[in-house]
Amino acid sequence: MRVNPNLVPDILAGLQQSQTTLNQALEQVSTGKSVNVPSDNPAAASEIVQNTIETANVDQYTQNVTGVLSQVQAASSALSSVESSLTQAISLGTEGANGTESTANQQSIASQVQGILNSVVTQANTSYEGSYLFGGTASSQQPYTADSSSPTGYTYNGNSGQNSVAVGDSTNVQVNLPGSQIFSNSTTNVLGSLSALVTALQGGNSSAIGTAVSGVTTALNYVSQQSIFYANADSQLNSQETYLQQETVNLSSQQTSLVGVNMAQAAINLSQAQTDNSAALAAAAKVLPDTLLNYLVAPS
Amino acid sequence: MGGLSTSLLIGVQALEANQGALNATSNNIANADTPGYTREVAQFTETPESEVNGEVLGGGVSLTGVQSVRDELLNMQIDQQTSAQSSVDTQSTSLQQVQTYFTTTGGDIASALSSFSSSLAELSANSSSTAVQQTALASGQNLAEAFNTAATGLTTVQSAADTQVTQTVAQINTLTSQIASLNGQLWQLQASGQDGGTVQDQRDEDVQQLSQLTGISITQSSTGETITTANGSPLVMGSQSFSLQTTTGSNGMQQVIDSSGNNITSSIQGGQLGGAIQIRDQTIPSYLSQLNTLASQFSTAFNAAQAQGYTSSGAQGGALFTVSSAANAASTISVSNSAQIAVSSDGSSGSNGNVANLSATLTNKLPSGQTAADAYASLVYQVGNDTSTASSNSTAIGDNLLSLTNQQSAISGVNIDEETTNLIKFQTAYEAAARIVSTVQALGTVTLDMGTTQSY
Repeated sequence: MRVNPNLVPDILAGLQQSQTTLNQALEQVSTGKSVNVPSDNPAAASEIVQNTIETANVDQYTQNVTGVLSQVQAASSALSSVESSLTQAISLGTEGANGTESTANQQSIASQVQGILNSVVTQANTSYEGSYLFGGTASSQQPYTADSSSPTGYTYNGNSGQNSVAVGDSTNVQVNLPGSQIFSNSTTNVLGSLSALVTALQGGNSSAIGTAVSGVTTALNYVSQQSIFYANADSQLNSQETYLQQETVNLSSQQTSLVGVNMAQAAINLSQAQTDNSAALAAAAKVLPDTLLNYLVAPS
Repeated sequence: MGGLSTSLLIGVQALEANQGALNATSNNIANADTPGYTREVAQFTETPESEVNGEVLGGGVSLTGVQSVRDELLNMQIDQQTSAQSSVDTQSTSLQQVQTYFTTTGGDIASALSSFSSSLAELSANSSSTAVQQTALASGQNLAEAFNTAATGLTTVQSAADTQVTQTVAQINTLTSQIASLNGQLWQLQASGQDGGTVQDQRDEDVQQLSQLTGISITQSSTGETITTANGSPLVMGSQSFSLQTTTGSNGMQQVIDSSGNNITSSIQGGQLGGAIQIRDQTIPSYLSQLNTLASQFSTAFNAAQAQGYTSSGAQGGALFTVSSAANAASTISVSNSAQIAVSSDGSSGSNGNVANLSATLTNKLPSGQTAADAYASLVYQVGNDTSTASSNSTAIGDNLLSLTNQQSAISGVNIDEETTNLIKFQTAYEAAARIVSTVQALGTVTLDMGTTQSY
């Protein structure tokens, strides 16, 4: 059988193949990625889409957790000072209820309790980065303002709305309690109980003062219960933060396994491809010019 | 009776025959690298012996012609594979361009979806911040633009394929008329008893080029070759050619019309033409329709979520995305300038209650049964898979084609070593024939000298 005398197409095909392998190896080493266009690995390219979106979300959730955590901590510390103010008011009230106190002393205690009331209102008006923490969702206006027509002397300008912040694809953490629930609840009114204590002290009636003190005690217990909400939110956010950190690591290692190049392997591939390519070129250079004519002596 | 003159005649015939063979050999060497050249072999025939007066006389040799060595069946297989490869190559080239629009680099839909999604998450924690609301709006704008870019990119590749259809049809017509005229020449040559090898080489080369442009089917008959498209529309019958035409169809794309006026666009297979039509009428429309569905369903879902809430200023949420035509949602989607994100669920400025509804449009399934990210990811998979299939098909067909051309070359290709050997062989034969002539001349001289003392 006659043998194909034309080696060129075969040699060209071989050269082209080794050149393609060389280009691929070079691209992987220079970009550090094994998937540069979807056709490199369609399944990986499609997972990268999900991974990119999920990574950006997890980054943002992590930022949300950090931001919200400071907000929750600010609210929590405001409630702590309210609690210590109330404790102080209770001891002052107990002192004022003592029948041996002079009227002048009772008046002075009353003005001290009034001062405590003012400081509790200040805490209730705590703002964090420009929004009021206890105004419900009406967070742009001061929740409590002085109002002489109100029995407590203050009126609530907020609403009863609550906000939840996304800290995971399906995890939302409620981050606020409205002031109307904590401070001016219809059953346990913190501001009202303090205001009642001031009035009772001013009146000087020991038993009325005693009643008012027990009202403040109830309020203190109530506030302590409410602050559990913030403690819970705090711990929920902290555990979510840990989860998100883990998730970031997972996503990034998934990304690496999808598109990453094992550099040592890629470098070996590149050098292998170089060797193959040079071998193909050298073989072509040797074989192509070889014909019988090289061995015939020209007729003299 | 035989005599010196018979030997002289045989010697001269041998000189001529070997001269012809040397010509054929040198022509083979000269055309060793000419594309489509088929090697030619000198055909020696021994002239019949004659018997005169009981004496048998040799008739010598004659060169009856040169014959090119070809395998028509192999040529047809090569034509078929050429069509197939040219079709996948055309598709592969277009798909390579298409897939750049689906690469996660920053300006694509995946990146835009990702930043839109994270800007909504940011909004959840900072719903009343004007800056964060603006970021979310800008991300929405980017998403709309990413859809526009991808759709425009696909349309550009589609119209390039459309232009290719027109150009390819024009090239097909040029080639078919050349082939018809070569067929005519070949028929005349063969009628006059010649091999017509060179004309046939040209014809075969043209037919192979034609098969690169479109899939063809060849039948041989007494009147010569008939070439038709894969679906049977005639292109060449003997020395007559039939031209294809293009006309703008109802979808704005060029339609291919055969010589009898039938629209054969959808039945064209193989070759550049088949590849371009496949890309233009099947592949890209399928991608575009998935993008349009995604853009349209997502914008509807998002606008519905907007309508459930209120803007920071307390107004009922309006549509964020505008889609002027559902059929071209991806290319027409935009964010209106006056749009505001409806973050609030109760109309108060501090509420972020509606942000969860807005984010849910990204995590919930759209009417297509997939989330926006899933729908887009499966489109990316499809584009990547189509591209890689086209290029691996091209490699596979290329290998097949290479082995066929190697076979063809084994039969028809010029082997320099063989030709060199022939050169030596015919040279020696020529020298030997020349020696016959000079020997006869010497003998003639001797004969003429008989009986004389004078020597010449």
